[in-house]
Amino acid sequence: MGIGPSTKETTLHHFRDPLLDVVASDEDIDLLGVIIVGTPDDNEEKMLVGTRAAVMAECMRADGAILSSDGWGNSDVDFANTCEQLGIRGIPVTGLKFSGVNGGFVVQNNYLSGIKDTNKSEEGIETCVVGENNITELDARKVTAMLKLKMRQHERKDV
Amino acid sequence: MSEKDLRRLVIKAFHMDRVMEGEENRITPDGLMTINKGCAAKMIEAEPLIENVGIRVIPPGGHDCWTNTIMDIIPVSTKVLGKLGEGITHTLTGVYVVLTGVDTEGKQTHEFGSSEGVLRDKLYLNRAGTPSGEDYIISFDVTLKAGMGQERPGPMAAHRACDRFIQIFREQLKKMKGNLCTERHEYHDVVREGGKKVVIIKQVAGQGAMYDTWLFPKEPSGVEGGHSIIDMKNMPLVLTPNEYRDGMIRSMQ
Repeated sequence: MGIGPSTKETTLHHFRDPLLDVVASDEDIDLLGVIIVGTPDDNEEKMLVGTRAAVMAECMRADGAILSSDGWGNSDVDFANTCEQLGIRGIPVTGLKFSGVNGGFVVQNNYLSGIKDTNKSEEGIETCVVGENNITELDARKVTAMLKLKMRQHERKDV
Repeated sequence: MSEKDLRRLVIKAFHMDRVMEGEENRITPDGLMTINKGCAAKMIEAEPLIENVGIRVIPPGGHDCWTNTIMDIIPVSTKVLGKLGEGITHTLTGVYVVLTGVDTEGKQTHEFGSSEGVLRDKLYLNRAGTPSGEDYIISFDVTLKAGMGQERPGPMAAHRACDRFIQIFREQLKKMKGNLCTERHEYHDVVREGGKKVVIIKQVAGQGAMYDTWLFPKEPSGVEGGHSIIDMKNMPLVLTPNEYRDGMIRSMQ
């Protein structure tokens, strides 16, 4: 299994993804859709695909976005860039990513304040236990609530 | 707030409460599933990169056994009416397929970090993406030819063979009478006029043999007909919520 067995999302996870369930059932939210974006090897390509995802969200006229990551490590570069590209387009963003003690962001920017760590292991490490550090319903509820707050704050700034 | 209904997806679950080895691959509406281990050879007839496949049933609580690295955990689901994202889907509960892989030289099919070992220590139960403590596991354990454990065509062959095996049950599941299901879930893609417009962005694997994601299969959570996100240059694309929850993504890792 790919980069970090404990964080990898299996096909079964996609089939019954708690993040989709929580967001889709929130009656304050008009869920536009699910953007799927890959994680290329090359740095320039990473910047390209994440930027295109943010452009797509802008063209969909999204008021907010929730970003989630499958795996960790160099895909943090993609994750941080996508957050930044959403942020500079004025789209509030929250997200879920494994950090623990050894998977903190390898890059930083000003748009990562709404990112929640999905670590569940006591040691805060990649345990190589399949599913252990996966996203749960509680994680999904937290980032959805955080996004609603951020969208409200953003609205007030605009007035 | 007014709602506009775009489309409906109905997922009907059929619960399997007894899974055992038998002479044929068969599921019945009263919850019995039998697995014919001998069919493994047939699944790999067209796969020259696969040395052999072992199929076995792991009952609930029987996790004190060795496992090679877990490549994927897959639900058995099939389209009965309509295309992915609308219509009717049938799925099995109580049993999930776990695909594992190694090559003849003992090299595990993994990228960074692998999960071979005693299953009890390597699988965290009760997550969205893992079985519960009461579920049966069908282990589909692939041994690839020497050196193929970490080359892209090897793991792809393993996923294809496993999909072929699951298809045997999909064909039977398609014919199950809908009113005999044990659970029925109805999902609607809706426009909530006046609601905050939110998009979910899923960043998925797209870097290589054990770090790939496929989309648009013919069957829910399937392989056949799918396209690799690597081949699509990892570019973003949009799915409706119902397409996503109807198994339009296959984790190829």
